[in-house]
Parts: sequence; C-alpha cells; structure tokens
Amino acid sequence: MTTPPRLGHANLGLGVGLRAAHFDHILRHQPAVDWFEVISENFVDSGGRPRHVLRQIAERYPVVMHGVSLSIGSTDPLDFSYLGKLKALAREVDARWISDHLCWTGVLGSNTHDLLPVPFTEATLAHVAARVRTVQDFLERPLVLENPSSYVTFAHSTMSEWEFISRLAEAADCGLLLDVNNVYVSSFNHDLDPDEFIRSLPHHRIVQFHLAGHADYVTHLIDTHDHHVVDPVWELYRTAHRLTGGVSTLLEWDARIPPFPVVHAEVLKAKRFMGERLPAPTPLSAAVPAAAAPAAAVPAAAAPATPRMAAQVPHPLHHLLPEVA
Amino acid sequence: MTPTSRGPARAPASLPRPPLDVVQQWFQAVVTHPAGVAAGAASPAAQRLVRLDRGALEQLVRRSRRLTAEQRLEIYANAYYARLLECLRETFPVLAQALGAEVFDSFAFDYLQRYPSRSYTLYRLAESFPRFLDETRPDQPTAAGARAPGGAGPGWPDFLIDLATLELAIAEVFDGPGAEGEPLLAPADLLARQAAGDFAATRLAPVPCLRLLRFRYPVNAFYSAMRARRPVESPADLDSPATSEAAGAGAGASAGNGASAGAGAAASAGAAADLPLPDPGAEHIALSRTDYVVRRYTLTPFESAVLAALVAGAPVGDAIAGAAESSHLPDDELAAQLDAAFRRWTAAGFFRAATS
Repeated sequence: MTTPPRLGHANLGLGVGLRAAHFDHILRHQPAVDWFEVISENFVDSGGRPRHVLRQIAERYPVVMHGVSLSIGSTDPLDFSYLGKLKALAREVDARWISDHLCWTGVLGSNTHDLLPVPFTEATLAHVAARVRTVQDFLERPLVLENPSSYVTFAHSTMSEWEFISRLAEAADCGLLLDVNNVYVSSFNHDLDPDEFIRSLPHHRIVQFHLAGHADYVTHLIDTHDHHVVDPVWELYRTAHRLTGGVSTLLEWDARIPPFPVVHAEVLKAKRFMGERLPAPTPLSAAVPAAAAPAAAVPAAAAPATPRMAAQVPHPLHHLLPEVA
Repeated sequence: MTPTSRGPARAPASLPRPPLDVVQQWFQAVVTHPAGVAAGAASPAAQRLVRLDRGALEQLVRRSRRLTAEQRLEIYANAYYARLLECLRETFPVLAQALGAEVFDSFAFDYLQRYPSRSYTLYRLAESFPRFLDETRPDQPTAAGARAPGGAGPGWPDFLIDLATLELAIAEVFDGPGAEGEPLLAPADLLARQAAGDFAATRLAPVPCLRLLRFRYPVNAFYSAMRARRPVESPADLDSPATSEAAGAGAGASAGNGASAGAGAAASAGAAADLPLPDPGAEHIALSRTDYVVRRYTLTPFESAVLAALVAGAPVGDAIAGAAESSHLPDDELAAQLDAAFRRWTAAGFFRAATS
C-alpha cells in the first residue's frame, strides 16, 4: 500500500459544521473546538458577513470546505467557474481539504439542489473517476468524496455501493469522507448491513468522518441533520474509528439547530467510542445558557409519514438569512 | 468517458442498462414533476427517455422491503419541493407571512415550474420571483382585486411585486459586494468641497451595496410593521440572526415610520395576514449595508431623483438641477432637504469618494 493513511492529511480531531446561527457565539466565545467544516456554497460568492465571519474563524481554527454542488456524477459538463471559486476560497481560508458528495445534483442545466444517487455500474464508475481526476487536476489537490444518504437504488447496478466507492477511490486516487449516519440511513433504506458497508471500504483512504442525526419515518430514514446522533450510529462510528485508526470527525446539525454548546457537546461524545475513559457527561442544563435552553428540547421522533409539501427538508439546504435593520 | 444517449429505451427488453445520461434525465423529469412521481413517469418527457408504465418502475428502481419503487422516488420528489419552497420562504419571509403559507407556497410552487434553478447556488433561486409575479399577474382590470377602485391605479399584484422586489434586494445587498473596511466619503469631505467652491462639479462614487428602489405601495413601511409583529415559529428561530433587529440603524432608517399598514390591525402576533393591505402610495427607498447589516432609508421623491442622478454619474450640480425641475417645492425647502440629505447620505456611507 503506497497511499498514506488519510492521504497524508492530519487528524484534526473533533469538529463542528459552521452554521450562521452560531456565528455570534463563536466569534464572542471562541470555543475550544478542534476545527470547523463550512458549506462551500455559503461562502464562495459571499461579499458580505458570511465571508467576513469565515475569514475570522479561519484565522483561529483549521477549516475544511464541504460542498453540495460539485455534481461529480452528473452527465452535464463540469462547472469550471464554480471550481475556480472553490479554489480561490480554499486558498483564502487555507482549507485543509475540499470535499463533496458522490452524487449528481441535476442535468440539462437544471439543479435540483439534492444529492441524487447514481447507478453503480462500470460505465458510471469510469465516468465519475474521469471527472474526479479532472477536478483534482484543476484544484491541484485530492478531492474527498462522501457517501450520501440515498433513498433508491437502481435495478441495473452491478456492484454494491461500497465496491463502487472502493474502486472509485483507487481509480481516481481520491480521498473518502465516510458519513457514518449516511451509511446507517442508506443501509436501512436498502436493506443492507451497515457494518459490512463500513468494513468493506478502503480505510486508509478515509480522510474524515461525518456524524449527524436523522428522521425515522418507520418505513425509511431521512437524513435531516436535525437530531442527536442515534446509538446505532455511534456503534458504527466505534467500528469505523477502530478500522481507520481515527480520523477527523465532524458533527453536522442543519435544522432545528440548538445552541452551540449542545452541538459541540454532541461531537465530544465521540470520545466515548474511541476507547477513551471520560468523566461523567456534563448535565445539559449546565452546558447551555439558560436563555437558550428551550431550543435544546429537540423532539426525538419525526412524523411517521412523508406528506407531500409538508416533509421535513432533508440535507442539504444551503441558504443563509440576511441581517436587516 | 461520458455515456451517451442512444434514443428511448423500451422496458424491459432494452432496459437493463440504460445510459447514465438517460437515467439522470428520466430521474429528474420524474422527481421534479409537479403532480408527483406517477404523473412524472407517465409524462411525455419521461416516456421519451424510458418507456415505463407506473407499475413497471421497479424495472429501473428497486423496491425495498418496506417501500415500492414509486414510494421511494416520492421521497426525492417531496424533498425537491420541500427544500426549494423552504428556501423561497426564507428569502421572502414578510411576503410569505402577508400572503399566508398556503397562498405563498402556491405562488412559489408555480414559480419553480417556470423558473427551475439553473445555478449551483440557492442564492440565485429567487432572483426571478418578482418578474414571475409580474408575468403572471391578473391581466384583466375586471378580475377581482386586480386593480384599485377606479381601475387606473396600482392594485394588489403591484403590492406583491413591490414587496417581493424589496425582500429580494435585501437578500442581494446582504451578501453582495460591500464597502466594509474601506475608506468612505465623510460629511466633512463634502463640506470642504463646498467651501472650496467646486461642489457643483463634484461626482460621487457610490458604494457597491447602494440600491435605489421606487415602489407603488409603501412596502418598506409594511415590511417594518410586519417584522415588528413576526412570531417566533420554531426553536431554531431563536438563534436565527434574521430575527434580531440590528442595533444602531443608520440615520434616516425607516423602521416603523409612516406606516398606514398597521392601522386597525389585530394585535395578535402570528396571524398570517392580520395587517391590511396598505393604500397605494409611492415610496422611495435606498438600501445599503454597513457593518454587514442591511439598512433601509426612506427618501423623498426629490432626494430619490438627486440620488439616482448621482449614482448614474452626474455631477452634483446637474443632479440637483435635474431633480429640482420636476419638484414643486420652493427652492428654500429643496435647499434644506438637500443639506440634510447629503449629511445623512455621507453619514450612512453611501459614497466611496468624490472627484471633480
């Protein structure tokens, strides 16, 4: 094996996805977070406060850029204007790496702004691997690709998702972002074994983990990022940590976002699954400012159906709200 | 290598491995169809790509133990509209509140059919929404409410268009280029030019975030009134920067002033449209941004005309003379307005520099 673990990237520790709801808290309190991951699309075009805040945060914390618009699996041409903006922002904030999803977001010039699944075929593999290499050449750095949550599989797929990911990583010489929650969600939705999924990946290519909560609709799970991480996902994380030897770990919380200390406390739980002995957890009431405490009361269960137009919005939704006087 | 289309595929004989571009075009046509997956699969656009009957979807999309292929595709179809409607509601919060969720979503749903996103960023999703409202406004003066009494003045469609225009402009100014951290023209700089006697020939370079708007309805006043009454809808809103009024609004900021909109409204917060439609009336607004917060400034018609000419590059003297020609106010009153206005504009950081 010539590829170094994590493609040579450092283990940044336990990080949190940067969200606008926490901008003020982070700037004011400078919490002891190991690193932040940002949604690239929230910043690449920003001439306003989001980019201003990111610059300040990047001066103090390691930053990783995570995109939702690369559409690496699409049959539309690559958007080199977008890639140019990614490259410029990465230089500006000294991004440790750039990641996106193994998916497509639209075709024929349209964008659904969703992370859509690809069929796992030899033709798809060749198509995506070629595009990854093109992107890496342009960005002058390895791309890190995440397994998305998915809700369908294709009848003409000829290989498993983990085989596709493994062969893609080797063919394109790219890194992997293992979203442990997505493994759990997709495995539930497709009647797969999440443990087998994780055990079958090329662990030395995994640069980063994602953790998040999801919504349980009984017949399927949806990757909503609006809950705490569930216990089975933590157990998968324990396995993934052991198999990789530990990589940068990041918690995403994108809807019904609680106060920052709650989000940070959630990712710190990861230490319990690394074989470390920890002091007893701090009671939530002590970690959360009193004024913000009600927001921590996130319901544990979602509606048991998927009513049209009333569904919770699955990840991703990259959109920040303006500040107006 | 890019797999290429080789014409329609027929199920099941030629379906086993449709090319990737065919799969993607079919998938997109199905999950973005406004009537849902079954109608999407039956649509000409989808049928041209893959001839699959509703009952044969599992030849292309596997079922799971718990869900059929159609039900699984519906997850993507639901997500598509849920995500984009949420984004539009966030861009037009006051319009959405004024219309009520159901009516707003109906407009937004139709908008997504006519203007589907073609950008990598959601920040451009809403950019054609005011135009869409204008294009789809009731054409006939006899249509209920389409025109104000008398038929000649603006009607409620104009109100909706104006309000959408304001909210879109706020979003664009918030995240567009600004002048934070750059030197700006100060009131003292203008006074020095006046003292030097070359004020009339001076040209003023505006900051890139300055936006001038003219409305047929007092939508800025309505916006202020509605925001003052906005309910907290979810715990997440408690953390949302959009719900906190920024302190220290610049001089001339219009929050809460002159609103006929609030007259007679019920006091309870949370009702979608408990502020009545304001009477028509021209409103001139400048939007700008300082310290990364969008500020709104009410202008008189005369001030608006002067400012528009300055932004277009006219020297101060010409800008004033042109605006004064169309004003009925006496010269001494115009002079008083101008003196105060230039002080406010420079204090608000409207200009980067002055040149002769």
